Amino acid sequence: MDETMKREAVKGNLMMGIVAALAGWVVPGLGHLLLRRWSKAAVYFLCVGGLACAGLAMRGGVFGAGAEDLFDRLGFFADLGAGVFYFLAHQIQAAGPDIAHATGDYGTRLFAAAGMLNLLTALEAYDIGRGGEPR
Amino acid sequence: MNVLFGNLTHFGALLFFALVVSLTFAFLSKRGIADRVKYTLWAFLAFLLVAIGIGWLMFPFSQ
Repeated sequence: MDETMKREAVKGNLMMGIVAALAGWVVPGLGHLLLRRWSKAAVYFLCVGGLACAGLAMRGGVFGAGAEDLFDRLGFFADLGAGVFYFLAHQIQAAGPDIAHATGDYGTRLFAAAGMLNLLTALEAYDIGRGGEPR
Repeated sequence: MNVLFGNLTHFGALLFFALVVSLTFAFLSKRGIADRVKYTLWAFLAFLLVAIGIGWLMFPFSQ
């Protein structure tokens, strides 16, 4: 049976929501894990992690903090959403980015999509942690 | 990691992207296994249909 149906969630408050959101941002799914949403935690970690790793394996680019161009700055915020995968990107992607080819360009989009998805899951973790209606 | 994703074709990347995004959206927006499976399938097929449709629309410009 799905854990969301069991209604055995931790009673929420604002601090728990903030902690869950921050944990979920740093490690995808960790916020839900703290809130005992086991299946959501596993799915979010695998999906966000898989997407981020695929993007890096395709040699996608990762935007840095010092970008002056508006689109690069937006890309930085999207990438930053991937949490630990952003901070470990250079270790995971030993060969470095190669955006001169279409595959690398696709990889850049996959990594940014992973970051945006993770921000959505972190927002949901905040909502559940705060005591919102569980989904 | 490269063993898993290193040889991903562009279409393979599209399928993978569509699957994981559909699955995540299903868990974000639906409750219960049946609803989530239905939503995942629906969103996955919609992603594919739109991507292939846009591909066909753009085909003349590549000539």
